[in-house]
Amino acid sequence: MEKKLKSFNLTGMLFVLPSVLIVILLLIYPIFSSIYFSFTSKNLIRPFYDFVWLENFKFVLTNPDFYRAFMNSIKWTVLSLAGQLFIGFTAALALNRIPKFTGLYRTLLIIPWAFPAIVIAFSWKYILNDVYGFLPNLLTKLGITDANINFLANPDLAFIVVVLINIWFGAPLFMVNILSALKTVPSEQYEAAQMDGASSFQVFWHITLRHIRVVIGLLLVLRTIWVFNNFDILYLITGGGPSDITTTLPIFAFKAGWGMKQLGVASAITVILLLFLLGICFLYFKLLDKWEREDR
Amino acid sequence: MMVGKSKLSTTMNYIYLTLLAIVSVFPLLWIILSSVKSSGEMANNPLSFFPEKITFDYYFRVLNDLSFTTNIKNSLLVSFSATFITIVVSALGAYGIVRFFPKAGKKMTKILITTYMFPPILLAVPYSIIIVSVGLVNTWTGLVITYLSFSIPYAIWMLIGFFQTVPLEIEEAAKVDGAGIVRTFLQVVLPIVAPGVVATAIYTFINTWNEFLFALLLINSSEKMPISVALYSLTGSEVLDWGEMMAASVIVILPSIIFFMIIQNKIAGGLSDGAGK
Repeated sequence: MEKKLKSFNLTGMLFVLPSVLIVILLLIYPIFSSIYFSFTSKNLIRPFYDFVWLENFKFVLTNPDFYRAFMNSIKWTVLSLAGQLFIGFTAALALNRIPKFTGLYRTLLIIPWAFPAIVIAFSWKYILNDVYGFLPNLLTKLGITDANINFLANPDLAFIVVVLINIWFGAPLFMVNILSALKTVPSEQYEAAQMDGASSFQVFWHITLRHIRVVIGLLLVLRTIWVFNNFDILYLITGGGPSDITTTLPIFAFKAGWGMKQLGVASAITVILLLFLLGICFLYFKLLDKWEREDR
Repeated sequence: MMVGKSKLSTTMNYIYLTLLAIVSVFPLLWIILSSVKSSGEMANNPLSFFPEKITFDYYFRVLNDLSFTTNIKNSLLVSFSATFITIVVSALGAYGIVRFFPKAGKKMTKILITTYMFPPILLAVPYSIIIVSVGLVNTWTGLVITYLSFSIPYAIWMLIGFFQTVPLEIEEAAKVDGAGIVRTFLQVVLPIVAPGVVATAIYTFINTWNEFLFALLLINSSEKMPISVALYSLTGSEVLDWGEMMAASVIVILPSIIFFMIIQNKIAGGLSDGAGK
């Protein structure tokens, strides 16, 4: 009996082994090597480097550009997620209520999700281009603007425009997941609430929202991480410009590592980024655990 | 009264969804329409919607003169290899977790989510050092290896959900019939979850096909570039040729769009199932 149990687990180990090895080699080991390099003067081109201990962190944490990038990251994440959640949620509610064409609308609304970052950048840069772009020309033709606006070069508009593009891209993921969560809300509860004469807002707040809040919480965790870390959308649309107003932490790290060739400094920035995200996730998971306990 | 109100709200819902649909679809429609317009029309009348004359000149230029066919082949090779390895490793891993370590599996989900926290830019630093030091810079092998870092955790996570739907009794019946664990896995379990495996494979393929940062950092010769970076290199020239960029964009995005349509029902459920556990 004992022998059987042992061989059982050995088989299990063999199934899991390749995944574990890859996660260790491709995720755990690089993270530690990143922490190691954050204490060195590692350069992109020069082969030799020294230990500088906390110099990189001192350099980063006394740099006003770092704090600007940090604030940009927070703004970029909070505004994008608020917009994605709002559009995704309202679209899911609407899809859940219409009697016909649900599948068609769902398919059409999901399209932005399939866009590669490079095509997001190309298509929107073309639509927003101040000479050939559809939108600036349309606004001028309608008499809303006197001359074509260059949205992505305008320091007052560029940030909000890239946030809107990110909302356009990310809302479908919220919509699809919230829609499938809405289907799990038991219909008896709606009927019971209706008999009790609950207002539609009360039904929404106490039944719908309460049932799907764990899904929304989990979505927010995943998307906070993803949006905060996102590099390619911003890099490809604005490159961090104009005058650094769209430079978030990942772009700041990229400029340090591959622009200024200082991989040590880039490592220090990314390690700070990781620590910050670990803190955020810890708080999120605390809240989710509390909700899951309440649901039981 | 009640009927009138609900009719009104249904109409409002349709109006809202139609507006969202227009905004969602417009960029795709616009790059397709622009890619077949003549260059004169693109410049002279930026607001014209349907092309006066349809031309495929840009496509010929992109595929022949810019040798995008090579880049497409590169991308296919890299994405297929990465997807194949990902699916083999993750299917074994996910099944192992579900069947042999179900308790640890619950913790595993959280660990897998944690690996999301590793910003690609964080991995980019050690990868660009390690890949150079093992001599894999500017090779497809190096690129495929880095792609496994984000595709495997996600694939395991998706597949755990699918394997959990397989009833234990079916496997026990197979065991009674004398099938070993490997045969049970290959001939009983895999066929049941095949649709889920296919969906995971397609999702992995799209993500690797669309990947940009690692390809930008690790591949530097244009004949080895995957298509996302080759497309990016079009912006390096002084005068942007929007027609070429739109035609190339259509070529890059079509596989994503088509595959997405196929698996759209499968990628949805994961999160709400996962949360319920």
